[in-house]
Amino acid sequence: MGEAGDIAIEARGVGKRYRVRGHAPPTLFGRLASAIRGRRPDEFWALREATFEVPAGRTFGVIGPNGSGKSSLLGLVAGTITPTCGRVTTRGRVCSLLELGAGFHPDLTGRENVFLNAALLGIPREDVRRRFDRIAEFAGLGPFIEEPVRHYSSGMYVRLAFAVAAESEPDVLLIDEVLAVGDVAFQLRCLDRIRELQRRNRTLLFVSHALQTVEEFCHEVLLVHRGSIVARGEPAPTILRYIREFMGEGGPVYTQEFGTREVEIADVTFRDADGREAAVFETGWPMHVDVRWRARGRIERPVFGFSVKTANGLYVFGSNTQIAGVEIRAIEGEGKIRLTLDPLTLMSGQYLLSLAIHSWDHARQFHRREDWYPFAVRNPTGALGAFFLNSRWTPPSQG
Amino acid sequence: MTAGSASRIVNTRLGARIEPSGPRVRATLELLGALVDRELKGRYKGSALGFLWAVLVPLFMAAIYVVFLRMLVGRALTPDRVVVGVFAWQFTAQSVQAGMASVTGNANLVKKVFFPRWLLPAASTLAQLINYLLSLLVQFAVLGVLAARGAAAGVSVDPLLLPAAVALLTMLNFGMALLLAAAHVHFRDTQHLVGVLLSAWFFVSPVMYDLDLLRPWLAGRPWLEAAVWLNPLTPLLTGLRAASLDGVAWLPPPWAAAGLAVAPATLALGAAVFRRAQRHFADLL
Repeated sequence: MGEAGDIAIEARGVGKRYRVRGHAPPTLFGRLASAIRGRRPDEFWALREATFEVPAGRTFGVIGPNGSGKSSLLGLVAGTITPTCGRVTTRGRVCSLLELGAGFHPDLTGRENVFLNAALLGIPREDVRRRFDRIAEFAGLGPFIEEPVRHYSSGMYVRLAFAVAAESEPDVLLIDEVLAVGDVAFQLRCLDRIRELQRRNRTLLFVSHALQTVEEFCHEVLLVHRGSIVARGEPAPTILRYIREFMGEGGPVYTQEFGTREVEIADVTFRDADGREAAVFETGWPMHVDVRWRARGRIERPVFGFSVKTANGLYVFGSNTQIAGVEIRAIEGEGKIRLTLDPLTLMSGQYLLSLAIHSWDHARQFHRREDWYPFAVRNPTGALGAFFLNSRWTPPSQG
Repeated sequence: MTAGSASRIVNTRLGARIEPSGPRVRATLELLGALVDRELKGRYKGSALGFLWAVLVPLFMAAIYVVFLRMLVGRALTPDRVVVGVFAWQFTAQSVQAGMASVTGNANLVKKVFFPRWLLPAASTLAQLINYLLSLLVQFAVLGVLAARGAAAGVSVDPLLLPAAVALLTMLNFGMALLLAAAHVHFRDTQHLVGVLLSAWFFVSPVMYDLDLLRPWLAGRPWLEAAVWLNPLTPLLTGLRAASLDGVAWLPPPWAAAGLAVAPATLALGAAVFRRAQRHFADLL
């Protein structure tokens, strides 16, 4: 457990270089053959010059595009990956949820695997015996705890593994994208357990693509790109920077842009209920999108449109000024139009906004940006489901 | 393995280590126990007759060798000597095969959890040792039956020589497990090479024969005799026979000492190689 002011994780000039081997596993023949041909293997740095400190009791998020070095960072902190240079010091007992159930043996029962996994995490056998009932209860497996884990569903597998890790009382907990599995109810219980660890001053390092979860849980966020830590700071602005600079254009999102450019979308700013620039919005509150446009000439009766998709491509909603009955006679020069979603009825997750400017009869597409603007939504209401329905209860009347 | 709150993991170019580096005997032993438990349960849960197979295989092999050697060479060892040799060989061969795969077969674990890596080949060897010790009970039962039927010399257990020979054999097997586990991570074709070398080793070691059979070839060729005794299995198998059976002499020539010294030397080499190689395990798995 960390005293205030202690440093739990300290990285100094840490770098990790990999040799590129292609897909085949390493062999003696292969090594000899490339030695004879005098070919040196290609190298790349998964992480370089990483220097940071995580104070004890804080929760740090690590975000960045795929392949940016996030998982290497976690492996270096956990001690499973040897750095090429530099030094990482992690104080206290470290437990990683890097891959839940990595130590499970399919032929052993749930109970036997709990003890095995606990031994791997360095938890004394006595402690496990004492806490076994709590672990079994948290996993919620009932009588299946005495069955070999080869008969488990993947959800049961993950539940058991998380139960062991959560009960292991780690000083430092490393979490790599594991909360994306399991059903919603279990995910909520995991998040509850993480909150409890936070209250008890444990240090957490959190790798996730779920930006809304990162914003909700983390005190600070490291932004990693191409092996370098490019930003470190408060979650909201760092996530905003990530979304603006590394997602969308050229990022992991498949985007499209086309049009005659007689009118252009010049600049787009997302603003929250207070009018501040933001990347993560809250369910049930307003969200504003300010679109600055630039026209080359006079355009008669343009139509501004938008659509929203979920990160996995489900088309959620689309509309435009024509459908909404907002008539725009003509535009010229530069200007701004505001799109407001109030209240935002999207649930927790990541979404993509498309914007378009076209002629009133759809004959001319002036400028379309498809799936161009990612944003995240956080749902603080506790309500469940696919959409937030503005619901109201009338208090019961007696008699 | 992670340690108590006062400690820390320091990860540098030389690999990760726990500081302060005091002994964590208890945690290490508990993990070793859990891993051995997993090996044994995993092996025997697959089939109800798991242990029975571990004993039946060397018994069948012993029977086959006795029959074929008699057909080919005209004479063979008495069955009891073959049984002792084959059971011990089985221990070595299984330790080598299982030890070689002990790190590659646990890739998930090695990549995701920090714990002393040498525990994997150690657990694998220890599980094989337990298996061997249990099969020794069967071995002595079989020897007793053979002796009672007049097919073999009497059984006599040497309380000093037997544990000493088993201990040295285990040391040799553990050393090879460390060496090959590390090699297998770096060179995945190690397993093919080891397969070939194991069968060669089987034939040059006195498993299904003993040194009496070699006498005609060894006479007048002292270098060949030295080479035979430098194979650590020669003094170890001869020692095991002398420790288990009546009428087997244990009079090793000076070369046998060198052969026996190969066991601790292999362990030292294996430990050194494994220590260096383990830094890159996670990268190569």
